[in-house]
Amino acid sequence: MRLLLVEDDELISRSLGQALTRLGNSVEVFASCRDARAALQGAPFDLVVLDLGLPDGDGLSLLEEIRRRGDSTPVLILTARDGLDDRVRGLDLGADDYLAKPFQLAELEARVRALLRRSQQRTDNCLSLGPLRFDPATGTSWLDDAPLDLPHRERLLLESLLLHAGNIAPREILENRLFGFGEVGTNALEVYVSRLRKRLKQSGLHIRTFRGLGYRLEEDDS
Amino acid sequence: MITVTRSIKWRMAMWLLISVLGLGALLMLEAWQSSRQAAERAFDAQLAAAALTVSEAVQWRDGVPEVIIPPAALQILATSSEERVFYAVLDADGRQLSSNWPLWPVPDALQTSLGQAPDSAPLVVDQPTLHGSLRLYGREVSSAGWVDQQPVQVWVGHTLSGREQLTWALFRQAVSRFLIMVVLAGLLMALTIRYVLAPLRRLRHQLRMRDAEDMGPLEAHVPREIRELAETLDHLFARQRQGREDLLRFTADASHQLKTPLAGLQTTTELALRSDDPDHWREALGAVHDSAARTSRLASQLLSLARLRHIQGDVTQTSLELTGLVREVALDWAGREQARHHDLGLEPLPPAPVMVTAQDWALRELLGNLIDNALHYTPAGSRISLMVNREGKDVCLAVLDDGPGVASEALERLCRPFERAGRQDTEGSGLGLAIVETIAQRLGGRVRVTNLQPHGLQVALWLPEVRLSGAGLPEKRGLPGDSSARTEV
Amino acid sequence: MRALIFPVCWLLLMSPAAWGTVFPDEPRARTPLVISAALDLSVVSPLLEAFQAAHPRIDVDFREDTTLAVNDSVSNGPPAPDVVISSAMPLQMARVNDGWARRLDSPQARAWPDWAKWRNEVFGFTFEPIVMVYRLDLARHMLPPQTHADLQQLLTSHAELLDRRVTTYSPQVSAIGYTLSQQDARYSTRFWELVDAMGQLNAGLERDTQTMLEGINEGRYWLGYNLIGSYAMAYAQHHPDIIVQVPMDYSLVMMRMVFVHRDAEHPEAAETFVNFLLGPEGQHVLAGQTPLFSPLTDMAGPWTARRLREQVGEHLYPIPLDASLLAFVDPARREAFMRQWRETFGSVEDSPSASP
Repeated sequence: MRLLLVEDDELISRSLGQALTRLGNSVEVFASCRDARAALQGAPFDLVVLDLGLPDGDGLSLLEEIRRRGDSTPVLILTARDGLDDRVRGLDLGADDYLAKPFQLAELEARVRALLRRSQQRTDNCLSLGPLRFDPATGTSWLDDAPLDLPHRERLLLESLLLHAGNIAPREILENRLFGFGEVGTNALEVYVSRLRKRLKQSGLHIRTFRGLGYRLEEDDS
Repeated sequence: MITVTRSIKWRMAMWLLISVLGLGALLMLEAWQSSRQAAERAFDAQLAAAALTVSEAVQWRDGVPEVIIPPAALQILATSSEERVFYAVLDADGRQLSSNWPLWPVPDALQTSLGQAPDSAPLVVDQPTLHGSLRLYGREVSSAGWVDQQPVQVWVGHTLSGREQLTWALFRQAVSRFLIMVVLAGLLMALTIRYVLAPLRRLRHQLRMRDAEDMGPLEAHVPREIRELAETLDHLFARQRQGREDLLRFTADASHQLKTPLAGLQTTTELALRSDDPDHWREALGAVHDSAARTSRLASQLLSLARLRHIQGDVTQTSLELTGLVREVALDWAGREQARHHDLGLEPLPPAPVMVTAQDWALRELLGNLIDNALHYTPAGSRISLMVNREGKDVCLAVLDDGPGVASEALERLCRPFERAGRQDTEGSGLGLAIVETIAQRLGGRVRVTNLQPHGLQVALWLPEVRLSGAGLPEKRGLPGDSSARTEV
Repeated sequence: MRALIFPVCWLLLMSPAAWGTVFPDEPRARTPLVISAALDLSVVSPLLEAFQAAHPRIDVDFREDTTLAVNDSVSNGPPAPDVVISSAMPLQMARVNDGWARRLDSPQARAWPDWAKWRNEVFGFTFEPIVMVYRLDLARHMLPPQTHADLQQLLTSHAELLDRRVTTYSPQVSAIGYTLSQQDARYSTRFWELVDAMGQLNAGLERDTQTMLEGINEGRYWLGYNLIGSYAMAYAQHHPDIIVQVPMDYSLVMMRMVFVHRDAEHPEAAETFVNFLLGPEGQHVLAGQTPLFSPLTDMAGPWTARRLREQVGEHLYPIPLDASLLAFVDPARREAFMRQWRETFGSVEDSPSASP
């Protein structure tokens, strides 16, 4: 994947560059809006990591430019300012995610991974995570290229989890997707989750429960 | 924002002007009336005097009245205004004994009374003529004598120009007196205003001369009326002084707090640089990483606290729905890499919406700090829960964990900055609870930290619940948005 | 004894014939001006000439007449005269009081001294002392009188010598004489003693100053009382036998009164004339070329009130120009006064009474 990193602090840009490269990406690093703007004219990127406090202008204006051009490349904003206003403005202008400095490298990596996954899914019209692939058009799914035949509700559940891959799928959304509006038993969703868990056993994927919140489809830690 | 309205001088001048104009109109009316009355009185008196002089000139010769009109009487009648004068002396038959009476008839009103009373009251008549109005004055004279005498009528009259002139002269005098008085009063008022406003001017001067850094109390002698203003200013200065002192102390504390881990970083890296042992390096790098993470967190919390304490003004609090917000915050934090090794979850929420008056960002900041604290001070695998409960009229928002808790004697001090309840071992600045406390104060709630049994800590915030009356129920709590589109803040 | 001899040559004196049809018509449109005046044309002609010179477009029609005729002319119109001049002060005042005059609002009228005008309608524009006149012969027989008391003394102590040799105005016939007597009687009750004395020596009662002067000049009279000073002084200049004496105790001063008629046919011309009369030009002529005396104190010339005061002292008593004059025209008062006068004088007058 091609990543554009716009960050003026040399220490941060170097370590971020290294970390993101290690994830198997090619990372181009620029320290100013001007250079970044020039680079964006060329071949498209899969993700832009954008620092807001740049020496030659506000990163938000660059973001605005990108979005005005109709470019939907995912953008992750980094800032030392953690004021709510910046965050709201950034998201309003079309940023896909937001991370306040200081942040843990692991946090950044996780978010980049999620954004890239979504970017990838957008390009091949397929939801996928690790060995799992799901074609929303046909409703068919594959595990390690082997078709996985799923009952209706399990398929809906998997689709929803994959749609939220990297993030928690809130249980209200899942319930709604599976059962439609209306009262369902508290354990109804749990039944389908545990059925899906069984199917994913030994696949390198698992479904983590977030108490009172929802579920997340995760890759096993290697 | 100071908007300047009309000056005090202008206000006073306007009120003064309006009242003076109103009063002036009344006074002028009165002055005109009294001037005319005075003029009429003066001239009528001369008319009467002339009539008297004429009647004294009436003599009886063998019971027949005879008049030798005295020149002085006519001079009196003419007055200094040189009025045209007319006179007539009539006997009982209405025959003119002496007269320069012109063509118009003598008023006959008096004639009816002739012979009835010895001295009837004089009659005053206004007679219009070609040359303007005349004032006529008639009286009856019947004096005692040796032989029977018939009464005589004496009529005198003159034109009215003198009365008008005198009226105008008196009126002009009254007006000029009034105007002089107004001018003098205006001057006095201007001086008075100046004098009265002097303390304000002094105060202004003093404030203007004041050093920007000077937060000391005012040294001013002010009248009672502006004591309140001066005291308010003093109070404001005192608050600013307090704020500045707080800020200074806070900055000192903060820099101390930042210096400590930085010193640690310095010594650790120095030692590592002296060593050739890669294991030693790795160990040192680990320590450096931990310390840097701690310091970063400390810095952001310091910023947060400073901002919370010193942001003024725009604190518009609105009603917001608590359960949705709590769910959203929980989702956010649970999804973070930081929470991967903890069981961060949500206790069942009340089914109905819970409304509180608060600022969205403040609650997020508060919850974030509590969750962050819990993540930091509890070992991996600990269970951290968010909870919303109705308790009477209040709403209790709590974050609880099953970690080790804190020593009970440290609970009190826990909300002060840089207090870590003696837990120096783990990373953390001790600012988290101070931030929570500050936000709670701003929201008008209260915070309580309690240890749980057998172990664990609960930090609870109570806020008054906003009860909406019937129709105004908020929309049913919506589903939390898809986390991939986190624009709902 | 003080005799007044005026050094100025009197050019125009005694030449009334010069004023026939006064000014011939000229082709341009001209404004006539009718002046009804009890004032000798011979005396006033320098003034008229000066006015004519200053205002050539105005034709002056100067109608000299007796005081009574002038008084009648006021109400006999239309046509009314434009300007009315008379020495009969009470009559003028009565006319003005009755509203026959037009008010003047000119700078000259406003500047005129208050004591010499009334209502800005009528103006006393001359200052003529009332004097005693005697023949130089008188001084041979007795000390000539300087005061009223002197005169009364003289008349009683030299009654036989002065029998039929004293003359004065007839108050019955002459309006001026009547006024002067009234005024004299106002100042002193001893006036009646004087009248009594004059009656005792059968004083001649004349109708005007000119007749009295001629009588004195001819020797019919030795002494004249209450003559108009302006005429007498002018006369005395050419008749060295005649001495003019301004009484030293008090001297009445008579003023000619002028007003613009209310119904004047030529009001502008009339006002022009009166303004001229009251203004510096007219007064200058008055002071320099007529014996009428200018009442203005700042006028230079032989005939001024100031000059007169310098020569005879401060005892000049102008007949007050005010409403008190009206009393003199009161018929009852006149009747009572004339009755007293006749009773005191002691003889019935020759001529029948005429009301003033």
